[in-house]
Amino acid sequence: MLREFALITFTILAQMSVGAFLVLGVVNFFVVRKAGQVEADRMVDRSLVAIIVVLGLGMLASLFHLGSPLSAPSAISNFTTSWLSREILFGVAFGVLSTLFVVLQWFKIGPVVLRNVIALLASLVGIVFIYAMSKIYMLPTQPAWNTLATPVSFFTTALLLGSLAMGAAFIPNYAYLKRKNPDCAELQCDLMRSMLRWIAFTAVVLLGVEFVVTPVYLVSLASGSPQAVESARLMAGELGLPFLLRMILAFAGAGVFGFFLYQNAQSAGREKVLGYMVYAAFVLVLAAEVFGRFLFYSSQVAVTL
Amino acid sequence: MAKQLAFYFDSSACTGCKACAIACKDRSSLPVGINWRKVYDYGGGGWIPSPAHPEIMLPNNVFVYSTSTSCMHCEKPRCVEACPAKAITKRDDGVVLINSDLCIGCRYCEWVCPYGAPQFNEEKGYMTKCDFCQELQEKGLNPVCVDACPMRALGFGELDELRQKYGNVNAIEPLPSADITNPSIVITPHKNSQPSGQGTGRIIKLTEV
Amino acid sequence: MSNKDFLTKTLTETALTRRSFLKWSAALGGTAALAGGISYGLKAAEAAAEKAATEGKWVPAACWGNCGGRCLNVAYVVDGVVTRQKTDDTHPDSPDYPQQRGCSRGRSQRMRVFGADRLKYPMKRAHWEPGGGDKSLRGKDEWVRISWDEALDIVASEFKRIIEKYGPESILWGTDAIAAAGGYVNAWGSSSSGTWAYTGPRVIGDYGNSGNDRLDMRKSKLIVMWSTDPIISSGGNPCYNYLQAKKAGAKFIFIDPWYNNSAQVLADEWIPIRPGTDTAMLLAIGYVLITEDDPAKNPLIDWDFVNRCTIGFDASTLPEGADPEDTYKDYVLGLDVNGKPAAEGHKNFPPKTPEWASEICGVPPEKIRSFALEIAQTKPVAFMESDASARVNSAQTIGQAFVAIASMIGSIGVSGGGTGRTRHGTAGNIGPNLIRAGSAGTTIEGPDNPVSLSINNNELWDAVLNGEYTSSVGERTKINIQLIYHTKGSHLQTKVGQAKGIQAMRKVEFALCQDFHLTTGARYSDVILPVTTRWERDNYITNPNRDALFWMDRVIDPMFECKDDSWIDREIGLRLGVYDPTVQEISDKQQAFNKIAGATVLAEDGVTKEALVTITKEDLDALGVTGEPQTGRIPIMEFKAKGSYQVPRKEGDNYTSIAHKEFREDPEANPVETESGKMELHCRKLAEDIYNLGWSKIRPIPEYIPAERGYEATFSDWKNKVKGEYPLQMFNKHYWRRSHTEFDNVLQLREAFPQEFIMNPIDADARGIKNGDTVKITSSEGSSIRHVLVTERIMPGVTILPHGAWTEYDEELGVDKAGSDNYLEAGVPSVEGHSGYNSQMVQVEKWEGPRLLPDSQWPQRIPIKEV
Repeated sequence: MLREFALITFTILAQMSVGAFLVLGVVNFFVVRKAGQVEADRMVDRSLVAIIVVLGLGMLASLFHLGSPLSAPSAISNFTTSWLSREILFGVAFGVLSTLFVVLQWFKIGPVVLRNVIALLASLVGIVFIYAMSKIYMLPTQPAWNTLATPVSFFTTALLLGSLAMGAAFIPNYAYLKRKNPDCAELQCDLMRSMLRWIAFTAVVLLGVEFVVTPVYLVSLASGSPQAVESARLMAGELGLPFLLRMILAFAGAGVFGFFLYQNAQSAGREKVLGYMVYAAFVLVLAAEVFGRFLFYSSQVAVTL
Repeated sequence: MAKQLAFYFDSSACTGCKACAIACKDRSSLPVGINWRKVYDYGGGGWIPSPAHPEIMLPNNVFVYSTSTSCMHCEKPRCVEACPAKAITKRDDGVVLINSDLCIGCRYCEWVCPYGAPQFNEEKGYMTKCDFCQELQEKGLNPVCVDACPMRALGFGELDELRQKYGNVNAIEPLPSADITNPSIVITPHKNSQPSGQGTGRIIKLTEV
Repeated sequence: MSNKDFLTKTLTETALTRRSFLKWSAALGGTAALAGGISYGLKAAEAAAEKAATEGKWVPAACWGNCGGRCLNVAYVVDGVVTRQKTDDTHPDSPDYPQQRGCSRGRSQRMRVFGADRLKYPMKRAHWEPGGGDKSLRGKDEWVRISWDEALDIVASEFKRIIEKYGPESILWGTDAIAAAGGYVNAWGSSSSGTWAYTGPRVIGDYGNSGNDRLDMRKSKLIVMWSTDPIISSGGNPCYNYLQAKKAGAKFIFIDPWYNNSAQVLADEWIPIRPGTDTAMLLAIGYVLITEDDPAKNPLIDWDFVNRCTIGFDASTLPEGADPEDTYKDYVLGLDVNGKPAAEGHKNFPPKTPEWASEICGVPPEKIRSFALEIAQTKPVAFMESDASARVNSAQTIGQAFVAIASMIGSIGVSGGGTGRTRHGTAGNIGPNLIRAGSAGTTIEGPDNPVSLSINNNELWDAVLNGEYTSSVGERTKINIQLIYHTKGSHLQTKVGQAKGIQAMRKVEFALCQDFHLTTGARYSDVILPVTTRWERDNYITNPNRDALFWMDRVIDPMFECKDDSWIDREIGLRLGVYDPTVQEISDKQQAFNKIAGATVLAEDGVTKEALVTITKEDLDALGVTGEPQTGRIPIMEFKAKGSYQVPRKEGDNYTSIAHKEFREDPEANPVETESGKMELHCRKLAEDIYNLGWSKIRPIPEYIPAERGYEATFSDWKNKVKGEYPLQMFNKHYWRRSHTEFDNVLQLREAFPQEFIMNPIDADARGIKNGDTVKITSSEGSSIRHVLVTERIMPGVTILPHGAWTEYDEELGVDKAGSDNYLEAGVPSVEGHSGYNSQMVQVEKWEGPRLLPDSQWPQRIPIKEV
């Protein structure tokens, strides 16, 4: 029991962290061009710290799936052949680089260019981290996982959760700025609304990706090996309810609330509503993703004895 | 020194009695829930009315045979590749061993192995599996499963020699395709044995909660 | 670990987690300091500690189940604890000279002896009082530890009180002490042997354990295995011996409702047949042979044997005074005394055609015919059966019908042939022992039991409840049982009518049990006395089969406060004032020595007997016994260390045995021990003796008698084939988890063999039942719940509940949860009073109540939890 929830927690939080980091990188890039580094920093710095904390929690959660957690550090030993070792290595590397970046960024140490190089490096490592995570599951003994749907859904989760998480983080960040630094509030609000529109758009697109991948995936399972067929059967049968919930929650969160988020972000003065929209979207999509990951592990029918 | 130690299994002589599995459990004091050697009944067929006497049901290709499996000490052991802590190694004689001191209990090898060989010991927090009775072999003795079988359906030896003697079959239902890990096993099929992946039957056992 | 674990754990987390049951089994799983010798799979530190503990000794250990194998067990003893076992390695293994290898059960013996559920000290029921107290609490009460003195005092005082009040005829079962104190009532009736107990000696002249030895079997061209599954019922070598016959070219045909585990290796053909209908098929085979035989053009019948060696085939060999219509031939052909087709209503009507038999037994008529022709035309043919088909109500004549066919197809008394029961220790290897133990040297016989009353097993519990039983034809005798003493047998578990048996246990004034686990008999008693197992006693000397002799003394000293049965008997005798201290028994050690010293083995000429062991003066001193030095084949101490001596065999040796060979050659000079000296297809004595028992009147020829609770009984309207209240047949096959009822409590066996109830997919689908569901099985006696295994291996219309599970009756649910066969079985007194376990009928439905835990997760029966 503990093991399964540890893995769900770890994979979701880790993917969300990488996704959020990438999203902030993109946000930072566009905001710098539009309004300059200072405003970009104001928008992004606090959320960066939140990412690191979440990543740390995720890593901690992963220890709970080990039978002998004290021996965990040796888990990178087999880097040359094991995707699990690679994932841990890249995960740790991402953690180190992203933390380094966040520390430098928070205390404004070093030139911006250097910090951006580190951020870029961390991003690339983060992408490889998610890729390695998906490769762990792509085993000939695991038909339900050994499809392109795995990396696609891992990246989708990362970006979907990452973008909505960051969208949600913008709201308290804005509230904080409004209190502490009222002069920039209006500009920040415009920037935030602009970013939230992009985030809403991204969420709807990614929702579309999920809604395309899911049926294609199920159909391919249903016409595969006996184990694959059994996985598909489970998702229609015993797992039918969580499957349904997952789709409904994702649609409600990314689709419905995403749409309203976009609508409401078009004009100013609706910051409170924006808050509700993006929180709702994030919570619903987070729930959907947790269900989705739960389904991922529950539908496992291994080729084994 | 052997190049690749392997098991030999004669499915045509196996009754499914599990003396091999119990002997292994006894030797290593395995608790309930851990079975380094497992025996499966695989079968199928159906019953149809006799053409001349429709009130009589007759067996239609009803078949059953048993398969005794353990770690296959594969030539291409994916568990060795996959273990993040390098706790699983393959020796010069082909035997694949788990070093419990190095195992972190992540259970990845369990996902990777098509034969269900590595099994997690909850009490101890690490993975365990058939070790080809390497401690006994060092004393010149046979693996206990081989010596236990009342039908003499199990043997072991150098893989090449076994192949010369008994042929090349290394996969039958319910074993998975041999392509995944190249298991070091030679099987004499039962007359009803079906090739892996093309089975018309199923494993006959209780699906326990 | 599959998705099912993950899924079901998430959705239905149960209170009894894996962790807690692992804790239970850790008590005996060999963890802590007792783990058996491996270093891989253990952390280095543990391994080091373990190494220190592993300097032990291999000691031959008894495997004492009542099974057909009783193979060589060897125990590794470390500091008085057995940490591991092995089996026979006393000589290299080969088909001619095979090791005596144990089965899953024997390999689990140490789990019984050292189990956390081993009974440690005497106990009484918490609410017991003299006279029983609240007797309804038997089976549910708490247990209280008491001292041996208190226990034996209670036992003695209850015996005294009850004998005085009701007389010794109120005691059911007893020992020497009880015999000396006045006696006790017994129960009688064939259990394992079915109807062979009476039929064998009267029809064949012996108990029917006849057939040829394992090397001769290799000459067979065709071996018929009728209702037999040696790999399960006779673990060890029997099935392996049959495999050699197969490799030498024998074809195997199995006749069984279930495609059994021996069949999956040996069978070239499987003929499914409904339980209890075998006699019908046998008669139809006879019909085919007789009607189609043509000595010139199509010889099917061995007339030479039939004419010289049997009586009753036709009128020419009927004994004096016999009814001329009681001939085998007329009955089979459906003829009257004039040789004309008998009219309807005539006792020989109808002709026993394959069509007639097919309606009953479910084998197509063409198959019956082709099978008949095959066994008649293939030579040599071995025609073997096991007792399962005779453990059927009213099936008295199956043995006779079987022998009739054997007589006709010429399988009796020839090389490569053989006819009889292939079962227990003689399965697949029948003949006089090649090696025998000597006598124990004791001249003391136990006291006679002055009470001669004995109740048939089928009426037993009714007799206890209602106070009378059948003692003879038309005679009922009153009886008042007030004390039930479970000694030397798991009676409450092994006798039919268990539901009534539980009531009976709650009726009597005192119930006592000696055992080493909380078996069914123990659980429903007032006082339990813990006994030693065979591993804690000396003097276990036995032939596992004709080829070998085993000698095992104790492996460890008695555990906890356990005592030998003989000690208990002596103590009870003392307190009852009947023990005679001047009568000195020879010690177990001395008796064992005497048997070994006197053991003989056949020399290579197959005739001369040689002494087995060489004994020196030093040996006598080392063993601490009295005796004389002698020379023999092997040193006595070598035999003791190995625990086994097996006579080497090879093709062409002089140890062959062909049953009835001399009889066939000259039946007058070598008669069989029947009334006529020949094999009796018309058996006057059988009919007479059966009649005198008081339940049935049968003809002296193998008439077909539909079994009570058999196939015909599953119909409310036989003619139109309308099924009745209990539409499915049920029988109780042997099972690898147990040897009869022994081993049922061993966790690793419960894991490997989950006591599934077995059904055919057609019957399961009709009831909306899927593989793995929990089902409720109901008979006239009660209901049980079990997980169901749905498989094509069992024929439609028939179900299997494996024999021997210890009942676990749940008061709230009103069902037995363990799947005890005898809980559903009814006592049906018929013919010779055997137990007809394989004739019962049931209804099955899906169970909607609380889910059953897997057997291996049930808590062990530990009567008093240690803190």
